[in-house]
Amino acid sequence: MYQYDAIDQQLVSERVAQFRDQTRRYLNKELSEQEFLPLRLQNGLYVQRYAPMLRIAIPYGMLSSTQLRKLADISCRYDRSYGHFSTRQNLQLNWPKIEDVPDILAELADVEMHAVQTSGNCIRNTTTDQYAGVISDEVVDPRPYCELIRQWSTFHPEFAFLPRKFKIAVNATDSADRAATQVHDIGLHIKKNEAGDIGFKVIVGGGLGRTPMVGVTISDFIPRADLLTYLDAIIRVYNQHGRRDNKYKARIKILVKALGIEEFRYRVDAEWAHLRGKESTVPMSEFERLQSFFSEPDYASLENNPDSLTAKLSESVGFARWYERNTFEHKKPGYRIVTLTLKKAGQAPGDATAEQMQKAADLADRFSFSELRVSHEQNLVLADVRQDQLVDLWEAAKESGFATPTLGLLTDMICCPGGDFCALANAKSIPIAAQIQETFNDLDYLYDLGNIDLNISGCMNACGHHHVGNIGILGVDKKGEEFYQISIGGASGHDASIGKILGPSFAQEDISSVIQKLMNVYVEYRYEDERFIDTYRRVGITPFKEAAYAKAN
Amino acid sequence: MPKLIKNGEIVNDTYVWSQDPEETPTTNSIIAAQKWLADKDTLETKVAGIWIEAGDGVDFLEGIDVNQFDMIGVHFPAFADGRGFSYARLLRERHGFKGDIRALGQFIPDQLGYLLRVGFSSFQFNENVDLEKALLLHKPFSVAYQGDVADPRPLFLRR
Repeated sequence: MYQYDAIDQQLVSERVAQFRDQTRRYLNKELSEQEFLPLRLQNGLYVQRYAPMLRIAIPYGMLSSTQLRKLADISCRYDRSYGHFSTRQNLQLNWPKIEDVPDILAELADVEMHAVQTSGNCIRNTTTDQYAGVISDEVVDPRPYCELIRQWSTFHPEFAFLPRKFKIAVNATDSADRAATQVHDIGLHIKKNEAGDIGFKVIVGGGLGRTPMVGVTISDFIPRADLLTYLDAIIRVYNQHGRRDNKYKARIKILVKALGIEEFRYRVDAEWAHLRGKESTVPMSEFERLQSFFSEPDYASLENNPDSLTAKLSESVGFARWYERNTFEHKKPGYRIVTLTLKKAGQAPGDATAEQMQKAADLADRFSFSELRVSHEQNLVLADVRQDQLVDLWEAAKESGFATPTLGLLTDMICCPGGDFCALANAKSIPIAAQIQETFNDLDYLYDLGNIDLNISGCMNACGHHHVGNIGILGVDKKGEEFYQISIGGASGHDASIGKILGPSFAQEDISSVIQKLMNVYVEYRYEDERFIDTYRRVGITPFKEAAYAKAN
Repeated sequence: MPKLIKNGEIVNDTYVWSQDPEETPTTNSIIAAQKWLADKDTLETKVAGIWIEAGDGVDFLEGIDVNQFDMIGVHFPAFADGRGFSYARLLRERHGFKGDIRALGQFIPDQLGYLLRVGFSSFQFNENVDLEKALLLHKPFSVAYQGDVADPRPLFLRR
């Protein structure tokens, strides 16, 4: 993974010093609440319902075991010994003290980490596929390009006070879009053109929140050397023309929609004409420098399906289930990608205790070249596990609660922290996740239902991505009471779509029974092996709606 | 005489920022860009400069000799309104303005680092800002990844 040089290190250290001074001036009342707000947000610090929340960047999801141990250690000494992995590959601490944050940032800087631009109306942490670099069908490894974007966006002097937050995600394979790029302000798809040159298909104006939209293609191919000048052009147009009068209409998607993609593209091209070919054009030497950090680890020369694996697969149903659901094909023979799920019943989705973080770091050291990734679905990934060590890893993962074999199934939910923590939330989301986990606890049934994305958000800000869940649950406030609106038909992959609302919202205690009714409709209507989303797309919303609102006889 | 920060020092302000469109401009006046555009053929005195309101953009300067102005002001109606960052950069890089670019309005000292990098050279803060303290925030970072108005080369050309 990327290693800081003296310059990278100096920048994060200077950022810590800057924020230490800002915090001191805020606590002395030299800086007003209003002035401190964007400054702390650009360092990932929110003031939440009960305490501040610090969002630490995990750039494009890459984490060394040393870094994860440091996060565990920080969570013990400055927080309540756990953290929450978010959908955008960040880690959130829910209970730090404001006055401790400069010290936390200093400790993070010691392990090449920071909380720069994890919040605020600026360019946020760039995200990508958690399987980057280890799958066989990607165009190229997207991580060097993510690092390029990270550096370009870090302390960008022109774009620190945009109309609204700005999120970029990168995908490098046609076989899947695990980074939900089409619902980002900019989605980048790495492509090779007919001449074999690497570039990007650029999608703009996707996003969730109150007005969910799937992005539209602004360019089919921007050569990689021109990436930064093109991004500068898009964001310069947005910075000048995006709405600033209403925060709910300030995202770039609203501007793109208002102008129409033709006019928006025309303006971007006009801006780009001035920037293209200038100093920000990326030279080959920089791509080579960045690629050198993501060279392959020292893989052993192995065969697929060693005897120890096939024997265990035939004798242990539990192991076979875990292998089927929680591991993924690796580009190298004899290796497998393993997801350590953070979806154990009784634990909030995406939460990890300090002990679990330490355990995961140990597993990374023992099984996967001391590296991990954080996924959009709020799980941890060991990318390079030898197939002949999968049984050992499974045993160890089970002990730490990482082996719930439900990756991609109904109970592998995405869930925001909701009203238990967040000041913005209208309703709690964690108890809904817990209710669903308790109700749908029969693995055979979950396997029969197959791949279903269920996403829960506690409010319209949609941090739990409910719009793009095959089933989406949204907390709403009705005269001071918490209710839940259910939508179906959303998707976040290459076939991204926004879900449709079933109808009037439901009481908290009814959620599981409504989900059960939706599942019954699916099972009744599905063709053999048809996924839930495909059945929905074929039969439409009506039978689901009728079942959900049918009066009991 | 009001004070401001210019080129890293606290100096006296020798111009008059004219916010009242009815005011008669003098040679020291910095007048609203829209007023200057409307009146430029009938103005009796040459003004020291113009100031740009957030939302004006800088495209209206196309075909105009910007270096006839000693100073161009950029107004921040709120410090979180970042349009002025693009305006200053475009004034320097697109329109070739060599004179003083002055930040006016509600910006705050903690923005100085970014403001300097996009081409601002003087800063007329709100009256309640302690300029001595603001000066300390002039240069929060000693290096930068991106190119900027001072040095257009990104770090990858200097690393």
